[in-house]
Amino acid sequence: MEVDVATSERVRHFPEALLPMRERLLANLVMIAQIPAPGGEEAQRVRFLLDRFSEAGLGDAAADEVGNAVGCLVGKEGSRNILLVSHLDTIFPASLDHNVTVEADRVIGPGVGDNALGAAIVSMMPDILEHLKIELDSNLVLLGSTRSLGRGNHAGVRFFLDHTLTNIDFGICVEGMQLGRLNYFSIGTARGDVTCDVRSEPSRSYGTESALVVLNHIINRILGIAIPNRPYTVIRMGTMRAGVAYDVEPDHAELGMEIVSHSDEMIDQIQRQIDDIVSEMSARHAVNAHVDMFFKTQAGGISFSHPLVKGVLETMHALGIEPDQGHSPSELSELIARGIPAVTLGISRGVKSRKKQPDYVLIDPILTGVAQLVGLILAIDEGACDAL
Amino acid sequence: MLSEKWLTERTFHHSNFWDIKWLVEEKHRQGLSISLCLPTLNEEKTIGQEIVILKAELMDHYPLLDEIAVVDSGSGDRTCGIAASFGADVYIASEHLQEHGSFPGKGENLWKALYLLKGDIIVYVDTDIKNIHPRFVYGLLGPLIQDPQVHYVKAFYDRPLAFSGGLRPTGGGRVTEILIRPLFSLFYPELAAILQPLSGEYAGRRSILEQIPYPVGYGVETAMLIDIYERLGLCAFAQTDLDRRIHRNQETIALGRMAFGVLRTFMKRLKRGDLVQFQNELPSLMRQYEVVEGKYRQVEYEIEEIERPPMIEVEQYRERFHPQEQPA
Repeated sequence: MEVDVATSERVRHFPEALLPMRERLLANLVMIAQIPAPGGEEAQRVRFLLDRFSEAGLGDAAADEVGNAVGCLVGKEGSRNILLVSHLDTIFPASLDHNVTVEADRVIGPGVGDNALGAAIVSMMPDILEHLKIELDSNLVLLGSTRSLGRGNHAGVRFFLDHTLTNIDFGICVEGMQLGRLNYFSIGTARGDVTCDVRSEPSRSYGTESALVVLNHIINRILGIAIPNRPYTVIRMGTMRAGVAYDVEPDHAELGMEIVSHSDEMIDQIQRQIDDIVSEMSARHAVNAHVDMFFKTQAGGISFSHPLVKGVLETMHALGIEPDQGHSPSELSELIARGIPAVTLGISRGVKSRKKQPDYVLIDPILTGVAQLVGLILAIDEGACDAL
Repeated sequence: MLSEKWLTERTFHHSNFWDIKWLVEEKHRQGLSISLCLPTLNEEKTIGQEIVILKAELMDHYPLLDEIAVVDSGSGDRTCGIAASFGADVYIASEHLQEHGSFPGKGENLWKALYLLKGDIIVYVDTDIKNIHPRFVYGLLGPLIQDPQVHYVKAFYDRPLAFSGGLRPTGGGRVTEILIRPLFSLFYPELAAILQPLSGEYAGRRSILEQIPYPVGYGVETAMLIDIYERLGLCAFAQTDLDRRIHRNQETIALGRMAFGVLRTFMKRLKRGDLVQFQNELPSLMRQYEVVEGKYRQVEYEIEEIERPPMIEVEQYRERFHPQEQPA
C-alpha cells in the first residue's frame, strides 16, 4: 500500500508547525543530557520521562521491573500497537561534567546526540502529537530503555519485549543522530573484551612480564584470521587499556573489540577462532588471558520492499531528507529478532565520541527529524505500512 | 518577627512549589504579571541553555512568566545574539534612560530592568549558572504567589565550586561567611538568618523594588536586603533552597574586591542609619598586591559603588508605571 498522498503532503508542513515547540524540545534535550546515566544508573532519566508522560496525561506511566520508563498513549481504536523506543544510558561516567552549552546553532555536551535527543523526543511525543492536533487510532507505546549499551546488552528493551502483554506491531527506534539514517536490518554483532593478566611471580616459569606485549601477540594473531569478502564481515578493535607508568611493565591489559557480520554463523566461527588464539597465547606466554563476549545481536531485518521501509522513504522524500540506509547495532536487533517490523531513525546531525571535539547536535535539523518521526507514525497508523 | 520563627516559617525548598500549574492558576487569579530579568556580560557559554530551559518550561509549557529579558552591559561576545535567537528580549543597558547616564555593573542592569520590564514581580537570575533548571525561577516565585505578605525572596544553595575534573560537594559563600554574616550579626541581627545574602537569584514585587536605591556594582544584593528590611522588616522576606548551583569559581583576589564594594555599600547604610560615624569620607581605592618577576607591586582599584536612586524618583518611570499619579 502506498502512503496516503494527503499524509505525505501534510508531513511537509510539520517542521513549520512544530516551530513553537522548538524551545521545549531543546529544553528537554538539555535537561536530559544534564542527567548522568551510565548503564544501570538511568533512574533519574527514567523519572524525568515518567514525569513528562504523566504531565501529558498518560495515566499508567511507570517504571517496569528493570527500570525502563514505560508509557502508553492510548489510541482511539487501539487497532495497532506502535513502539517508540530510545535508550537512556550513555557511555559517560557520572563523574564527568554533564552540563550542556546551547549555542545559536547547536547543543554541545556529553551524549547529547547519543541519546539525550532521542530520549527527549520520546518524552515529548504525546505533546508533539497534541500540538499537531493528531489523534492516533493506534496505541503508541513509549519506552525509555535502560542498560542498552556495552555490557548492558539491550537488557532493558529485551526485558520489555519478553514481558509486555501488548502485542507490538511495529517498532521505531529513535536515535539522536544522524538525520536520514534508515536502518531496517541488523547486522550480527558480537562485542567483548580480551583481558590479559600476568601471573604471580612463582608460577611464571617462563614468558614475558608485560601483559601489553602478550596482548599485542594476541592482536597480531586475531588480525591473521581470514575474513571473507562475502558475507560482509569485519573484526573491529576499538579500545585498548594497559599500564600506569612509562617505567613499569603492565600486569594487566585489555582489548575491546567487536565482530560484525551479515552471517551469525561467521560470527560464531570467528569467535571460536579467537577463543583458541587466546587460550593458546595464554599457555604459551604464561599469562591469564580470557575472552568475554558480553554483547550479541543477531543478523536479520525486514526487506527493502517492506511497506514500513517504503513508508519511511516516502516520509523522508516529502521532507527532503536524503536517506542513508544501513545496518544498526541498536535496539532494532531485539525487535527484529522477535519478528517485529522495525526501523531506526535519526533526528538531527552532529558528532559524537571524538577525542578532540565535544559531542554536539545541530538545532536546525531537529524539527525535520521530529516531523519525519510523526510522519512515519501517521503512515503506520493509517495502515500504509501493514505487510501486504 | 523573630528570626528563628522566620527561619522556620519562611524558609522553603523549591519542591514546595513543584506544582507549577497551580502557581500559574494562582498568578492569574491574583492578576499578576511576572518578568524574568537576566543580567549579562559575556555569558555566551551559559545564556543559551538558561533561556531555552526557562522559556520552554515557564513560558511555553506553563505560562508562569510573561516576559524574559536579557539586560546586557555591553558584551563583546555572542551573548546578545544567542539570547535573541532563542526568543528573549534583549536590551543594552546603556541605550536606555540615557539622560541618566550609564555605569558599568550588574546593579545598573537590575535597576534599568525595573524600567524596561513590565511585570508586577521581577525575578533576577544570574547567567553564569551551568545547571540551570526551572526551579531557579519557580522556587523564588512560589512564596510571592503563595503569600501576599512576602515581598522579596532570596535563593540559597548547596553551592559546589566548579573545577576541572569534577565537583566538590560543598563550598562557596566565602564573602558571606567571613564578611556579610558577621556584619549582619553586628548591625542587623535578624538579617543574619538569610542564608546566602549574596546569591544572585532573587525575586521581588515591583512595589518595593521601585522604592529602593540600587548600587550599580558589588553591593546591590546587600543593599537590597538592608533597604527592604528597613522599610518592611523581616516579615517581608522569604528564602528558598534551590539545591545545587554550579557556576564559575572566583579567585580569592577577585572576592577581595567584591568584599570591598560590599563593605562600602554596607558602611553607607550604617552611616545613613546613624549606626556608625566616620570622621572622614571612606576611600574608594582598594589596594591589592602581586608579585611580578620577583618584585612586589601594588595594584589599585577604584571601587566607587555608585548608587542609582529609587526608580520611583525617575520621571520616565513614573510616566510609564504610575501615569495616574503624574501632575496634570
